[in-house]
This record gives sequence, structure tokens and C-alpha cells, in this order.
Amino acid sequence: MSRNDDNAPISAKEFINELWRYKNGSVSRRHFLGVTGLGAATAVMATAMPGLVGSGRARAAGNIGDRVSIATWPNYYSQDNYDAFTKESGANIQISVFGSNEEMLAKLQAGGTGWDVFVPTNYTISTYVDLDLIQPLDLSRLPNFDEKHYIKRFIEPGTVNGKVYAVPKNWGTTGFVLNRNKITSNPTTWKEFWDLAKGEASSRVMVHDYQLTTIGNALKYFGYSFNSIDPKELGDAEKLLLEVKPHLFAINSDYQPGMRSGDAWMSIAWTGDGLQLNRDMPEIDYVLGQEGGELWSDFYAIPKEAPHLDAAYALINFLIDPKVNAAEVAVHGYPVPDNRTTALLPKEMTDNPIMYPAQELLNALEFGAAVTLTDPLRAEIMARFKAA
Amino acid sequence: MRLYAAAIYLFLYGPIALIVVFSFNAGRHAASFECCGTSWYGRTFNNQFLLEALYTSLLVAGTTAILATIMGTMAALALQRVRGPLRVVYDAMTYIAIIIPGIVIGIATLVALVTAFDAINPLLAALWPGGAKAAPQLGLGYASVIAAHTLFTMALVIVIVRARIQGMDRSLIEASADLYATPWRTFRQVTLPQIFPAVMAGFLLSFTFSFDDFIIAFFVAGSKTTLPIYIFSSIRRGITPETNVIATLVLGVSLTLLISAQLLMRRRAGAAGSN
Amino acid sequence: MMKRAGIRSGNGVTAMLLLPTTLWFLLLLVMPLVVILVFSFGERAPAGGYQAAFTFEQYLNLPARLKAFTNTLTLAPLGTLICVLMAYPLAYYLAVRAGERVKVMLLVLVIVPFWTSFLIRTYAWIYILGGRGIPQLLELVGIEDVRLINTPTAVLIGIVYGYLPLMIFPIYVSLEKLDKRLLEASGDLGASPWRTFLQVTLPLSAPGLVTGSLLVFILLMGEYLIPALLGGGKVFFVGNALVDLFLQSRNWPYGSAVAIGLVAIMMVAIAIYLAMVGRQQARDDVSLV
Repeated sequence: MSRNDDNAPISAKEFINELWRYKNGSVSRRHFLGVTGLGAATAVMATAMPGLVGSGRARAAGNIGDRVSIATWPNYYSQDNYDAFTKESGANIQISVFGSNEEMLAKLQAGGTGWDVFVPTNYTISTYVDLDLIQPLDLSRLPNFDEKHYIKRFIEPGTVNGKVYAVPKNWGTTGFVLNRNKITSNPTTWKEFWDLAKGEASSRVMVHDYQLTTIGNALKYFGYSFNSIDPKELGDAEKLLLEVKPHLFAINSDYQPGMRSGDAWMSIAWTGDGLQLNRDMPEIDYVLGQEGGELWSDFYAIPKEAPHLDAAYALINFLIDPKVNAAEVAVHGYPVPDNRTTALLPKEMTDNPIMYPAQELLNALEFGAAVTLTDPLRAEIMARFKAA
Repeated sequence: MRLYAAAIYLFLYGPIALIVVFSFNAGRHAASFECCGTSWYGRTFNNQFLLEALYTSLLVAGTTAILATIMGTMAALALQRVRGPLRVVYDAMTYIAIIIPGIVIGIATLVALVTAFDAINPLLAALWPGGAKAAPQLGLGYASVIAAHTLFTMALVIVIVRARIQGMDRSLIEASADLYATPWRTFRQVTLPQIFPAVMAGFLLSFTFSFDDFIIAFFVAGSKTTLPIYIFSSIRRGITPETNVIATLVLGVSLTLLISAQLLMRRRAGAAGSN
Repeated sequence: MMKRAGIRSGNGVTAMLLLPTTLWFLLLLVMPLVVILVFSFGERAPAGGYQAAFTFEQYLNLPARLKAFTNTLTLAPLGTLICVLMAYPLAYYLAVRAGERVKVMLLVLVIVPFWTSFLIRTYAWIYILGGRGIPQLLELVGIEDVRLINTPTAVLIGIVYGYLPLMIFPIYVSLEKLDKRLLEASGDLGASPWRTFLQVTLPLSAPGLVTGSLLVFILLMGEYLIPALLGGGKVFFVGNALVDLFLQSRNWPYGSAVAIGLVAIMMVAIAIYLAMVGRQQARDDVSLV
């Protein structure tokens, strides 16, 4: 293949095939980036345009130390991007993975996390500000961040009392994945999801180890708000959860291994995991419950006690660079509220209904509410459900 | 009988063998096995955080073992001379320290230290001569893990060494005293050689416990990452063959150590025999 | 006068020798336990954590974790029992039957697993019990739809695997000390091998059995990793409930009460066990005479 063809557009199927050949190691990174055209920018960065992204960043970063620690979620980053950051800046990235905002909050409350960057979800940020666990961002140190390119409703939760505490990472939905080879019926609602869990798919269903989504979608069974803190409504949800508990395969926010091995047939799931699973195993589908559920946006933020502040800013700035960000999306499949980045995505991704669901499905979704994070009853119901 | 023994060893070593085989995975994911390559070994050796975790664990386990052995032995020696209620209290403490589950120790230590630090740190900041900015902030880290590990292990050393002291020939000590040896000399030349095997056993047990402990460190290590914490978080991150490489290396090192210790002992025994 | 001074300085030395351990006991055992005891009568702060109060609410709420307690109190003794049953024959083989040369090597092989990470040994079973492990093999021989991972069985397998070596060793040590002439004598007196075992070997190896099973039982009561890795959040031990309360729902007072409850139950269980063993041994001593 001549280099001239490298940036020619390719079909979704070809793209995915190439991605897999690349992931399996049968083609080189360069070949993959070239053929797909996806990472054209990365290729350019490496060769033709010094000073724009690569070396420029390294220079601006100066000496940021040899490490930076990030707390994020499962299957939510591109190892190649992280490797590229390390190569340019000299800072290795220590990654910890969490399955719920509560877990991150608990760690920060206990202190001594050593995190430089973490990834909170929209509804948690005001609480972090109240508890004085997070620091306002110095936007002059994030030149790649430009508010005007972002979708307004996904950027707003990052600003509390007029100060920017967090910049958007990705947005997405919470629905469920199901394996069509194993499940014959065609659930389209949360009611059907929970009924299947007790019936046809008994002992093959997973739910998140995360109160917001697990309790929230159980509330949806009864048509209540995803964010309800009403004791009676939560009582109904708990009853449902306890009924389902013996039928579950597992309670875990990383459901990809279970779904891939065939142990689990269905799971509450986020956009990107749905896309990643569907990409590798077309029989796995991602469905949004018709009653609604969660729409969310995640952010990059810096904890109050971050030990490596320079490295934290350098990492965030690197990751929100549209080109880097696009390569990130290519791997994890979560949409980005940054129009510059979306413009770089291949059409196959922007047309993908998992990433960009139909408007009427999106309309039914709710943002998580801040009160759910600290509501003692929701916390206790989740804990009781797990210990049951 | 022999067949049964073979079956047990198969049960014990089958899973370990599986991990060793999987560490030679050439693929990118641990879930699917592609034979065979050592590429993950290269990656592992270059992994700064893993090496640091290993260093942290060695430092923590080494310090814990030294502290626990010295303190535990001192206490065991002193306890020979303690009778009455004090002795009862001491024995109770020792057994409670052993019996209380690690997870309770971890949680209680975390809660107590965090509460104490919250009270002490503002005081330090207010009183520090160089001003609030210069004041040191107490926090979780090496010291808290070592301290928490030392609690359990020193109790273990007390029990082991005391058992040995009880079985010891006391007439030698009396004879030594009669010959006007100083207590220190008696200890060095008579007592220590006799209790040495127990002290050594206590040291090894302490080291092994501390090196392999996950749950206490999980709560009180703060931002420090010990090897078990690193392995746990790499399992959560999505298992890569790297985890298997680490396991294989740990296994390799312990096998080498044990076998060389065996050979050394055999050679010594042989030398002693020929004398 | 000389003598008195000697005693006084002797006491000084004793006190000095006990000083570090005393400090440790006070600061790292008594103080933390007192703190969680105090906390267990408090309230959860609005955003999670602890807030001072005096209430028995946390203790009254303990039944909400009943399942975690019953899981622990069934699987821990059961796991201990299976470990005993599996370890004893091997320990017997090593102590009585195995030849000197192999013995050392076989003993080393029992120790090696201790020196491999406990976490990794446990997680190996995620492969083996997962959908692509044993269930897939069973499918080949026609047994379909077996699910092992995330069940109490999986946790039990993990427990036995993890703690078996710990049980073998003490039993071996006590059997090793056993005077083999006693066995011969018993045989010469016409006792059947079974009777010899029941009346001579077993009672003499009792100390090892007690030590081993106490050790395993104590560790199992606080187990967190095995249920976390092989139970998939479905088989909860008290340890898992505790981690959940401190690192997820941030209910420190309730977590403290659960921890105190666990310690109390363990103390009672151990006391009962020791009392039972003590009586048994006393009876055996009599029958031996």
C-alpha cells in the first residue's frame, strides 16, 4: 500500500477490522493509524508538524516530574495515548480504576490518595466543592480548553459558584448490553430488563456496583424518577433489587470480562462499553430503556491535595487536545462534548446509534442529581443489596 | 496414600502452573492466550510503578520484620520475670493482637489515625515556628503500614520466642551468672544462641506476612502502593498478562531462595557430619 | 543493699524491654479499638463519615447485615473443616510414610505457595472457574450450563486452596513429634490400624489440629479477598460488608459497629471451640489411662 492511500476514508467495517488487527498486534500502530485515517493527526504530530502538539507540549510542560496519578473508570482510556504522554513529558501515568463515584469520594474523604487527576461525574462536583476536596482550575494552564467549542449542558456542571473546577472528558448514557445469541426476547425497557433477570436470563445478569445506576434503573421499573430519594419509592426499588439478587451473575461495574466470556448475558452498561463489546462481538447489543435512565458527563478534575500539580495540568491539557481526544474516543467509544474533537471522528462513529442515540430516546434521560451522592438511604440500600 | 499426596500437590500447583504458562502470553489481553512470547516480561521490567511497589513492599516487610523481631524478643525475655495481673494483661493483649482480623485492624487504625491527624495537623500548622506553610502535615504512608503490620507480627514473635524460652535449659543461665558474666554477656553467649531458631522463625514469618498482606495496607497505606495493592488494582484495571508475569517472578524468587537455603543447610549438615 | 539495687535495676531493665511493645499495644491496638467503639455509638455525617452522638441505632441495625454474618459463620467453619479433612492425610503421609529424602522436598513444596502472592493464587481461580474454564470442559462431556464463578462453591474452593498449606504444617509438626514406637506397640497389642489411629495417633496430633484450625478459622472470619474475587459481589462476608461500609457507603459509625460485632462473635466462637476441645482432650486423656 502506498502512503498516499493512508488518509483515504474507509468503511466502518474496515475500520473495525483494522482496529482489531492492530489490537491483536498483527499490524503495526503506524499501519493502523495510517489506514484508518483516524489517527492522521497523531501521525502528523509524530513527523511533520513539530511545535504544534508534540514537542510544543513537552516544551511548555517543562519539567513536570516523573509521574502523575489518575483515578478513572474501567475501559475508559487509550493506553497508546498514555504511552505517548509518557514519551513526551517523561511522566509515567499511574492508573487506578473505580466502579462508582462513591468509592472515589470515600477515598478522597479518607485522605492520602496521591491522585493528581480524577474523573468525577457531573452530579458529584458540587459536593466535592462543598467538602473542599477539589481545587479550582487555572484555565491558563489548559490552553487546549476552549469553552466555546463545548456543548453547553455537558460543560455546566464543571462550574460551581462561578469557578471552573472541572473540564469535560466524555458524555454518555446508561443503558444495558445484551447478548442476542443467548437472549431470544427483545427487551426495550427497564421493566423488561429486570423481569428477564428474574426469568429467562436468571443467573446471567450483571448490575453495576454503583448505587446511582443500579438503584436508579430499579426505580425506573416502577416509573419513578431515576434520582428519587423518596423513602417509599426507594423501598419499592430495594424490594425489586432483593428479589433479583439471587438471580444475578455478579455485581460489578466492570462487566466486560463477564460479557466477553459468555458468563453474563446482560448487564447495565455505559455507552463506551456497549460500543467496545458490540465492536468485538456483534451479537452484543446496547439498548436504552424506553422509560429513561441516566444521561451523564464525566470531567477531569484535580483533587485539593494533588501532589504533582504541574503534571496534572499537563496530562489534562494533553488529553483534551482534540487530536489526542479523537484517538481516545476511537478506542473507548464514548462521545465527547467538544465539537473540535467530534469533527475529527470518522463518520462511522458519528453515525453510530450506540454513541449517538435517537433524539426521542435521549429526551427521556435524566442527569444524576447531586443529592443522590450523599443520600444516606440510597447508600444504605445499595450496601444492604450487596450484603443480602 | 501416595496417590492422595500427588492429588493434593496437583491441586496446589495446578493453578500456579496455569499462571506461569499464561505469563508467556504473546497477546495483548490476558483473557485470550496466544502462545508464546516473553514480550510481557520486557514490559514488566520497565514498569516503574511495579518496581516501586516491589520496593515499597520490601521496605515495609523488612522494617516490619526487624522491628517486630527485636521488640517481640525483648518482650518475651522480659515477660519471664513478670507475674501477676500485669502478666495477665500482657498475655491478653498479645492474643487479642493475633486474633483480631486484619480487616478490623486496618479499619480501626485508619479511623483512629485519620481522626488523630485531623486534630493534630491544624495544631501543627498553628504552632509551627516557620509558619503554617512550612509545618509538616501528618498523613498515611510508610509509617502507618509498618506500624500496623508490626502490631500483629510482634505479637506473633512474642508467642514463638516465649515458647522457646520455656523449653530452654535454665541451669545454663544460672551457671553463667554464677561465673560473674554480665547479664548482657549471658544474653549474647547463652540465651541468644538457644532462642535463635525461634527468633529467626519469627523474623521470617513477620516478613512473609507483611510482604503478602493486602487488607491492612489497603486501608492505611495512603498513597503508597505495596505489591499486593498494585496487583489488586491491576486486576481491577482489567487483567493483563503482566499480572501473571509478576506472579511468576515472585514464585521464581521464592523457589530459588528456598532451594538455596535447603542446599546450604544440607552442605552444612554434611560438613558437620564429616567433622 | 546491693541486692535491693539489683532488683530495682532488674525491674528497670524489664520495664525498658517491655516499653516498645507496650507503646505499640496502646497506640495501635487499644486506641484504635477504643476509637471504633466510640464511633459505633455515633451517627453518619450528612456527606458520610462520622459525627458525634450517643445512640444504639448502629447496633440495632446490625441485623441488616445478617446474611454477611451467616455467610461468614457457615463458610468459615466449613472451609476450616474441609481443610482439616484434606490436610490430615497429607500431613500423616509426610510425617509417617514419606521417605526422608523426598520428605524435605515435599515439605518445601507445601511452603512455596505461601511465598507466592495470595492474591494471585486466588485470582488464578477466576480463569479456572470462569465460563472458559471448567464449565467449558464440562460442556465437552455434555454437561451444559454449569456456573461456578460467583457462587458459594467458588468461594469455598478459593478458601480451601488458599488455606490448605496453613493447615498442613501444624498437623505435620505434631505428627512428626509422635513416637512411632507407640504405633508399633499399639499394633503389637492387637489393635486394628483404625483403632490405633483413633486412640493413639489422633489424640496425640490434637495440638496441631487445634492450632491449624484456629489459625485458618481466625483468618477466614476476616476474609475479604476470596469473596471479592470469586464471589462477584454475590457472596458477601463480613469483611466485604466492612470494606463496602468504609469505602463505598461511607458509614463509619455503622461500619464500626459491624467490626465490633465481628470481633465479639469471633471471641465467643473461639471460646466455645476451645472449651469443646478442652473437654474432648480431657476425656481422651482419661481413656488413654
